[in-house]
Amino acid sequence: MKDIYILGIESSCDETSVSIIKNGSEDIATVISSQIDIHKEYGGVVPEIASRHHVKNVTFVLEECLEKAQMTIEEVDAIAITYGPGLIGSLLIGLETAKTLAYLYHKPLIPVHHIAGHIYANSLVKPLEFPLLALVVSGGHTELIEMKDHFDFQKLGGTLDDAIGECYDKVARVMELEYPGGPKIDKLSKEGKDTYHLPIPLKDDSYNFSFSGLKSAVINLSHNEAQRGNTLRKADLATSFQKVAVESVTSKTRKALLDKNIKHLIVAGGVAANSILREQIIKMAEEIGVDVSVPPLKYCTDNAAMIASAGYYAYKLGKRANFSLNSLSSDPLK
Amino acid sequence: MRSLYIDTSSSFLYAGIIENNELLAECKKRFDQDLSKEALPEIIKLFESTKIDPKAIDKIIVVNGPGSFTGIRIGVTIAKVYAWSLKIPITTITSLEAMALSSKTKKIRVPMMDARRGYVFAGAYDKNMNEIIKGTHIKLENLFEKLETKEEYFIITNDEIEGITEKESYSPDILKIVDYAKDRVAINPHTVNPDYLKLTEAEEKKN
Repeated sequence: MKDIYILGIESSCDETSVSIIKNGSEDIATVISSQIDIHKEYGGVVPEIASRHHVKNVTFVLEECLEKAQMTIEEVDAIAITYGPGLIGSLLIGLETAKTLAYLYHKPLIPVHHIAGHIYANSLVKPLEFPLLALVVSGGHTELIEMKDHFDFQKLGGTLDDAIGECYDKVARVMELEYPGGPKIDKLSKEGKDTYHLPIPLKDDSYNFSFSGLKSAVINLSHNEAQRGNTLRKADLATSFQKVAVESVTSKTRKALLDKNIKHLIVAGGVAANSILREQIIKMAEEIGVDVSVPPLKYCTDNAAMIASAGYYAYKLGKRANFSLNSLSSDPLK
Repeated sequence: MRSLYIDTSSSFLYAGIIENNELLAECKKRFDQDLSKEALPEIIKLFESTKIDPKAIDKIIVVNGPGSFTGIRIGVTIAKVYAWSLKIPITTITSLEAMALSSKTKKIRVPMMDARRGYVFAGAYDKNMNEIIKGTHIKLENLFEKLETKEEYFIITNDEIEGITEKESYSPDILKIVDYAKDRVAINPHTVNPDYLKLTEAEEKKN
């Protein structure tokens, strides 16, 4: 069978990334230009600044990827692009790039949903086995998605307010940790003890999550401690916060796996890089006899390899976009 | 010599294909929110109507601002990716130059775009395109102060700007614009970027 090479482009937030993936699983070359150091100064991603950097970076990233792969655009079979969801100004740079290349080189244009990309990051490690449950945890998403086949997404539940990664970043700000705060809380939590009592969010029978209450609880706790003249024990707070945040995600995931009798769990998104979350999810899955797959760290955060991998399966299913494809800042995964 | 012209710096798409000194096809359409969706399909229509192979373009001229930030990026991204991938020489021209060039007035030409909150993007050029006021992001009243000392001027704009009553609306003379830019040296496509003439709000607050 002929090998299929997909060129993926991702620019939904603050990473400009281009990747070439063979047959949906083999990473031929992936280049990621991150803007973290630029946005750090502002305490978070500034959309207009992100867009300005994407337009500056995009041809450099493309060129580096092609050089690394020792390939030309003529040699790829299709171009996969993140059309959404994400920051609209950022998405548009990748979109116009992909459309222009697809037109000039007569390549099929494959539209990929950003979350589908995060899920398919797992197929860069091993093929997805269906039915599966995908736990998507990132700065913009906290979702449980059931998949019975490729590109068959059934959302079981999601966050009712803040995404888990957003909550991590806000709590990190209360703790005066630098952006992005998630990895810093994770690291700090290893030095602390669970001494602060925080509520476990949304302990109900649904598959939904809620993180705004937890965020408020941390803010109140910080104010109260300050009023009493106590210093905030940051490491302890990190430990206590992580414990309840991860517990919430783990228990809802466990419930979905048992209710739906699913034997394969995949974890996706930037927060999948969190060490406590990985540890707790793997432990829970072992207890109930479920196979769990977590992509390597480099494929957890935004990257084009996952877009090209998802693009491969979409390509095989005949999914194509025309040149009127537009970016969407929000769009449910269907 | 075949040139492709692209300007997405406002809510309009202005594009054209020029062969030697003849305008083979052009597009002048208002898109507002749909510019990102329709810019490339409209450019494709130009190729289809002229039966010109997009690979057979010798030069790309792209407007790199000022104007709508998102708008500028759409045209610049298409143009730089196009030029980079097919190794086609590319050069830029500002939206204000394009507006001044397209006017027929004998007076000083003052191309202007609304930049909100009492600000405009504007410049001033004489009929021979000598720059009298360099393109800038300026408070309208300050621009008027600067213009007072000059000879008679005429404002060119497609925007409804408070305080501007007498104006000429803008429709690009693509042939003239491309001819004007013909001697500009080609730029490395990697370095073709928007010139916003304005920092982002976050950067302004920080400074």
